[in-house]
Amino acid sequence: MIEIQQLKFSYPRSHFHLHISDLTIETASVSAVVGPSGSGKTTLLHLVAGILPIGVGNVLVDQTDLSTLTDAERRRFRLQQVGLVFQDFELIDYLSVIDNVLLPCRIGDAVALDDGTQQRAVNLLERSGLADHIRKPVTKLSQGEKQRVAICRALLPKPAILMADEPTGNLDPKTSDQILELMLSSAREYKTTVMMVTHDHSLLHQFDRVIDFEQFLTSPETASSAEGASI
Amino acid sequence: MSWRNALYLAVRSLSWYRGRAITIVLCLALTLWLPITVRLLLNQFRADIISRAVATPLIVGAKGSRIDLALHGLYFDSVSPDQTTMAEANYIQDTGFATSIPIHVQYRTQSINHMTGVPIVGTTIEYFEFRKLGVADGHGLSMLGDCVVGCNVAARMQLELGDRILSAPKNAFNLAGNYPLKMNVVGVLAPAHSPDDNVVFVDIKTAWIIDGIGHGHQSLNQADDGVLLEKTDTNVTASAAVLPFREITADNIDSFHFHGDEDTFPVSAVIAQPASRKNRTLLLGRYLTERRDVAQCVKPTEVVQDLLNIVFRVERLVWLSSLLSATVTALLLALVLSLSIRLRAVEIRTMHKLGCSRWTIAVLISTEFLMMCAAGIVMAVTGAWLVSVLAADGLKSLLF
Repeated sequence: MIEIQQLKFSYPRSHFHLHISDLTIETASVSAVVGPSGSGKTTLLHLVAGILPIGVGNVLVDQTDLSTLTDAERRRFRLQQVGLVFQDFELIDYLSVIDNVLLPCRIGDAVALDDGTQQRAVNLLERSGLADHIRKPVTKLSQGEKQRVAICRALLPKPAILMADEPTGNLDPKTSDQILELMLSSAREYKTTVMMVTHDHSLLHQFDRVIDFEQFLTSPETASSAEGASI
Repeated sequence: MSWRNALYLAVRSLSWYRGRAITIVLCLALTLWLPITVRLLLNQFRADIISRAVATPLIVGAKGSRIDLALHGLYFDSVSPDQTTMAEANYIQDTGFATSIPIHVQYRTQSINHMTGVPIVGTTIEYFEFRKLGVADGHGLSMLGDCVVGCNVAARMQLELGDRILSAPKNAFNLAGNYPLKMNVVGVLAPAHSPDDNVVFVDIKTAWIIDGIGHGHQSLNQADDGVLLEKTDTNVTASAAVLPFREITADNIDSFHFHGDEDTFPVSAVIAQPASRKNRTLLLGRYLTERRDVAQCVKPTEVVQDLLNIVFRVERLVWLSSLLSATVTALLLALVLSLSIRLRAVEIRTMHKLGCSRWTIAVLISTEFLMMCAAGIVMAVTGAWLVSVLAADGLKSLLF
């Protein structure tokens, strides 16, 4: 379960302010996050993932209060508990498909790189229809295939939360459906909580819940009036 | 993050960006290769040139340039010093302080098989024992007119036992001067990796015959009166029509003879091999006192060391230029790395998002850099070593 209370966040030298009074996302739920560009959807994902430090307020993920964690603890939390999928896939060009999936194991010690993990990576790729591409460089893959690799990478550590930032934004409609199907079915199978930012309203019917973000966006002048806004 | 994972990712990255990696490695390797190679070659040069000098205790010769005398006595193929006489060799021998080994290097062979002639070294049998020169093929000098050739001479001039080689006269227009002597190759020396490999050895008396001091000709008692200018009971004076033999054979060897006192015959230098340190000091003392006006005795190590001190100032220039080029390379590498990190900003950001610390990212980039440095150093050292091995003979040929 993700619980956000009285979260306030702003970037230095920016007019952007995010204020979420109260937001709760149930465990194993699949939520779509929608809202206009610049409303703070990606910022929220980064706050919940521990990429950005919590300034004011509390963000609890399965009883872990992210605002109390150090940078190193947040990184460890991220590696173990959070799977991230990005719009631009953000794969490492010089690594093969399997090495990209296993990357979280190589850049930290939170996830062990053992035989079991390697077998899991292969299984994820096979299930994603990439069995024939395991040793290929990722640059040889199509856009859809790249995003499938990114999803496998996100799912490898069996994360409690899967966060996807417009994962279908660069894909054609057919591939978008396939990617969404893969991501949601995998998440449901592993009972993973999903938060997915999207602009594609045609996909919203596939989610348990839709969080419209516009209501969290405040200006410094109107911040006080927006306090208490919640879903 | 384990070093194993860092190495794995670094290898993958370097392999992917191999054009950049190879360029950096080559830049590093070339920058390091030059000073390392120069240092190795100069050390080799120093060792080679010093070892020959160290193995030669003292060299005695005519007054004049001590450098010319030492280099001529050691390496033969250098500016010829003023000549001394066989009296100096006999004097040293008579003192009992040292064994004297005269060296006569005034002539070269004629060109053979398109190879330029090499020095003809006239000496005594003691020289071969002194330098520990062995005969690989054939035998040593046994009669006038015999010669043994260094292994490089035999190889380059394609000489075999029984071949004849001609000495080259100093001056082709001096009819009264020396005539070319045809020498018989009776032995090929085993490789000594020294200047001895590049010369032809003859007995010192053969050298004097080449020099025109000794000669052989038909018996004047049986000669036609037309070639005799004057004939008394004790003296016979012949004209230039009596030609000397140009080759020494078993049939004519008895006719070879020398005119004058052997003490006056020329030698280029005399190697003195003292029996002890004390004898060496005593001999040096003689040449600082009673022989001071007629000859000089030099210590080859001192002369060569003085020479090296001058020559090796060049090394400092090489080091200075290497330092400058290394600085420029370091600046360029810093620029390349900085640009490379900028180009990989997306990758670095992704790793950070996934949970990678800045320290880990620094370790990854440092590992790549260290691997490129290591590869550059290995290439530079290997290249320098190969050059020093492959160029060793060439270097020696330049030296000797």
